[in-house]
Amino acid sequence: MSEIALLDRRWITRGVQRASAGRFALWLAPWFVLLFLGAYAAGLCFFYGLNQTNMDNRFAFGLWIFADLSIIAMGAGAFFTGFLVYILKQQDLKPVLNSAVVVGFICYSGAVAVLMVDVGQPLRAWFTFWYPNTHSMLTEVTFCISCYLLVLILEYIPLLLKNRQLRKIPAFLVFEHQFHKLVPGLAGVGAFLSFFHQGSLGGLYGVLRGRPFAYRQGLAIWPSTFFLFILSALAVGPSFLMLVVATAEKVTGKQLVQNSVYRKLGFISGVLLALYVAAKAIDTYIWLNITSPAVGFGPRDFYSYWPLSSLFLFIATVPLGLLPAILMIVPVTARKRGCLLCGAVLASGGVLLNRFVMTVQTLALPTLSFDSFLKYTPSWQEVATFGGVIAYGVIVYSLSYRYLPLFAARKGADPNASQD
Amino acid sequence: MSARYGMVIDLDRCTGCGACMVACAAENNVPPAHSRATARTGITPMLVRRLSNGTPGADAREAFIPITCMQCGHETPCVSVCPQQAVEVDKATGIVLQMPQRCLGCRYCMTACPYHARYFNWWDPQWPPGMEQTLNPGVSVRMRGVVEKCNLCHARYHAATEKAAGAGETQIDPLDYVPACVEACPTVAILFGDLADPSDPVSIAADSPDCFRLLAQIGTDPKIHYKTTQDWIRALADRNSLRSHSPEAQHV
Amino acid sequence: MTFSRRDLFIGGAGIAAGIAFTPVPWKLLGDVSIWTQNWPWIPQPSRGPVESKRSVCTLCAAGCGIRVRMAAGWPVGISGVATNPITKGALCPLAFAAQQLNFHPQRLRAVRHRGRTASWNDAQAAFQKACQDGPLLIVDSRPGRAASSILQAFAATHSGDYRVLLGQDSQALAPYAAWNGVATSALGYDLENARTIVSFGVSLLDGWGTPGRFTRLWSEKAAGRSDPELRLMQIEPSLSRTAARAWRWTAIRPGSDAALAAGLAHVLIEEHLVNPHQLVPPQTSLIDAVAQTGLSAETIRALAHTMVQRRPVVALACGSDPTIAALNVVLGAVGTSGGVVLRSNSRVLEIPVEPSTKGYSAVLLDDTIPWGFDPQPNAEVFRFAAWDGGGNQGDWLLPAPGFLEALTDVPAAPALNAETYSIAQNLLPQPEQVKTPVQFLAQIDSTLPPVEKAIQARCQEIFHAKRGVVFGEQVVAVANFESTAKLEEQLRNGAVWVGEPRHPAPWKCALQQWPSATSPWHSADWSAAWDPVVLPPLATKLYQESDLREAPARSNT
Repeated sequence: MSEIALLDRRWITRGVQRASAGRFALWLAPWFVLLFLGAYAAGLCFFYGLNQTNMDNRFAFGLWIFADLSIIAMGAGAFFTGFLVYILKQQDLKPVLNSAVVVGFICYSGAVAVLMVDVGQPLRAWFTFWYPNTHSMLTEVTFCISCYLLVLILEYIPLLLKNRQLRKIPAFLVFEHQFHKLVPGLAGVGAFLSFFHQGSLGGLYGVLRGRPFAYRQGLAIWPSTFFLFILSALAVGPSFLMLVVATAEKVTGKQLVQNSVYRKLGFISGVLLALYVAAKAIDTYIWLNITSPAVGFGPRDFYSYWPLSSLFLFIATVPLGLLPAILMIVPVTARKRGCLLCGAVLASGGVLLNRFVMTVQTLALPTLSFDSFLKYTPSWQEVATFGGVIAYGVIVYSLSYRYLPLFAARKGADPNASQD
Repeated sequence: MSARYGMVIDLDRCTGCGACMVACAAENNVPPAHSRATARTGITPMLVRRLSNGTPGADAREAFIPITCMQCGHETPCVSVCPQQAVEVDKATGIVLQMPQRCLGCRYCMTACPYHARYFNWWDPQWPPGMEQTLNPGVSVRMRGVVEKCNLCHARYHAATEKAAGAGETQIDPLDYVPACVEACPTVAILFGDLADPSDPVSIAADSPDCFRLLAQIGTDPKIHYKTTQDWIRALADRNSLRSHSPEAQHV
Repeated sequence: MTFSRRDLFIGGAGIAAGIAFTPVPWKLLGDVSIWTQNWPWIPQPSRGPVESKRSVCTLCAAGCGIRVRMAAGWPVGISGVATNPITKGALCPLAFAAQQLNFHPQRLRAVRHRGRTASWNDAQAAFQKACQDGPLLIVDSRPGRAASSILQAFAATHSGDYRVLLGQDSQALAPYAAWNGVATSALGYDLENARTIVSFGVSLLDGWGTPGRFTRLWSEKAAGRSDPELRLMQIEPSLSRTAARAWRWTAIRPGSDAALAAGLAHVLIEEHLVNPHQLVPPQTSLIDAVAQTGLSAETIRALAHTMVQRRPVVALACGSDPTIAALNVVLGAVGTSGGVVLRSNSRVLEIPVEPSTKGYSAVLLDDTIPWGFDPQPNAEVFRFAAWDGGGNQGDWLLPAPGFLEALTDVPAAPALNAETYSIAQNLLPQPEQVKTPVQFLAQIDSTLPPVEKAIQARCQEIFHAKRGVVFGEQVVAVANFESTAKLEEQLRNGAVWVGEPRHPAPWKCALQQWPSATSPWHSADWSAAWDPVVLPPLATKLYQESDLREAPARSNT
């Protein structure tokens, strides 16, 4: 046992304190169980087909698409932090940059994995690249997410190469040092790609003329949901990052970043969230008064079905919109870590609610006048796959935290040592 | 000259027998239902739905409305959203054609269709041993994981063009191209023809004030028209019927 | 020359770039896409020349003309025949998938004796022994066929009884047959000339009679019109499809049809809406009707007035309820144009089978007998069937030909206003292990003629009578045919002979007194008209894969 512990110790960055190998294994064990359950569920779907899910011809999109949209929104912290640090030169966010990259990598690779299970013919995935339809938002999503995942992998590699044992290989060390020059460029490319795919995920629904609940007017070829999704992703990215780092601090029992970083992330998130709520309010007004009536639909068609009523609109705007924005901006509350994190949770909840409303509620609402409101509950295979992705995320982050210098050193300190 | 094939379906004549549904499934090699298939996971490219005024007892009234792909002609929702260009509008006929061989099974087109006229193959098709010998040779068999829908029996159109070409004609004989559902209807409730030809009976019928289209206000220009002389049927089926649409729904 | 790691990298990059310019990766990608379209477990349709043949569907007594597309010798598509004067191209919903029936998992392909496989010789031996032990009963559900005459002949020469089991549509005509001493199969309804039809729960627009006959009539004369040429008045407790499309629907309490018929007759006679008639319903009829139907007296009176506004008027019933038949007598709708008419001169009376048979030691059930018919327990039952309906349905299950597998003929469908005749040519070879009842009996009694001979004889009869018209690719009067052979050839190619509608004959009604009601009978199952015990697998479109219909009592495995 002690041999494994010694081996394990050699992979951990010099000078930092980590839990014992046994305790770490104990932490990982349940997540691995969840991961294997998810892999088994996904395997069932690959082998038997999508009849393993509870999706049907009316709910062609279900839990997985909601999961994809939510995960990608949460992973927006990756590109946004990179943008802030490298392009806008906000150096005080540097300590969470590596974390942001790992979170982004997890989110995007997990989303792509779920997408592969979600399509009926995964072997034909390359058809989108071969016969792209320039009018389709989904083409845009596919291209940009694939490219951005590549970018994230490229951003993750230098972090991986900072591992204590890997650094010993001269070729890797040289490669890693050279690679650093690319990083600002990558951050720029990443921001550009992310801008488009976060937006086109919103555009997926905004262009649906056949679903007046989702359809929005907009600017040129982009419906307003394109911009609203970008804004909400920008708002929730830093919040989610905050939550991840706070959770890591709680689990490891160490202070990993300074309070000022939290406050900065919270402030950015809050301001963007407030902007988002304002934009959404304007958009909702236009949609309910101009866009929908023009095609013969109105609030009665959208909000008559309990519990998906106008209550959701209120919840999304105030308790999950304005309230967290205030909590994270106003110094009285922003000073307190608890309020800040509460705000982050509420903001994340608000974005999750928005993604749910766009994916699931759109399909539940009838379009034809003789149709009825429909219900959908995901099957265990769908839930398990989603759970598997979450487990995958926790495992990758835990491994990254343990074996890589995730949190940047203070100025003047040994770059090989970690903050704790 | 390119055609725009469409239909006028007379709701006063439809008795809800379902002959069109079975004829469609047989013509298009739709597999028998899997034991776990339901009304929400089955494949019914032609689907007859019930319209009911909801009143019990002696005041109850019922009608039936056959729903199929509306062959939308303007900014066809499913064509613009397919990431692989597996859906296209055929210029010669106006039919919205689906290529199951290219379909990825992402189901975005199913989300886009307001008429719910698209069906996904949730299971692999299975016939009892030997029954595959009774499959229609003109239509390919789809496997699981792809979307399918009505294509106005395009295989029959193809056969009609081949027959015309064999006889040295440039135009097909309208009697050679009749979709399975039209042929099957025992009350002749479905009128089929070329909406682009003003002398075609279906064009003339579609101009009648008794005709309406589903969700016409959305602007997809569907080519399936519905006809009824009865107010209550129109009120139930036509969202935009003045008799059914109350003004409150227009404004917040 | 030294070969360093750098060279390896450069060489590798060069090879990778070079391969991209070869067809290899692109071909592989293309292959992957082809594989995803052609996995070996996905069935492919037959290949071969496609031809169109005509025959007649024998899955119920209607005998609709069908056009069958054949590819490589297998039926791959069924449609109606537009030139058929009765169906006008219509078929019932299930017929469009009938080509699947022969491959149904419940297809009977071997003789079965009490659950175990046996041989035809065993069955023959058992049958002969049972016939020696006691009298034989042969039951036929489609009397009038060539095969029926052979079965009848066998029963006669082997001291047995031949009985018929009439279908629902035929049973409704039974009272008139009894009162006039004619065969039920000689009667029909002249709906084509009626202007008002009062239907007591008959699903005229949903599976009644020959597909297309009434639906086309109604579609042309009534659909969508507020003042139609043909007024359909539907009287039944719930909103059926026919009631929903009828000109008027009157909701009555279940089981009160007979009371209403008596009440209506009472009003018609009392208010002199009909010619005076000796057949008078009881004095209390109107009061009873009000009490039982739940309608008010005014409603019933109004109904009676409306019924006779546009004549001819005829009333239709579901089963053999004599009170509704009596209403027709009062209305003067029997033996007149637009009412119940005699369509043939046939005086051959079919004897219906008793519900519980007694005293026979052998019972032979023709393959047209419904699966649910279960004769007496202590006889040895020899049931012919093409599909196994499950449950213990008889001692011997004898595999009969399935769809389009045996030559047979189709006498007039029930309820038509004229005689018809067509020949159902077999488009498929008869499988080895199956036999028709006639073929089975012919092995016991070699003097029995084959079905072909009997069909020839029938064609000769039609030819010599020189009446009626043959509707094939062209419409030709029988008088213009050169020979029986030519006539038979037309019929074998899917043509149908239609006799001349008889001039309505005056009615010799033996009924003197208003009859008492029998228990009413309504079939709730929409698939009731379909004879085979199994449905084609695609029938699931109608109930499992949609909300259009309820799952029928018999479903698919």
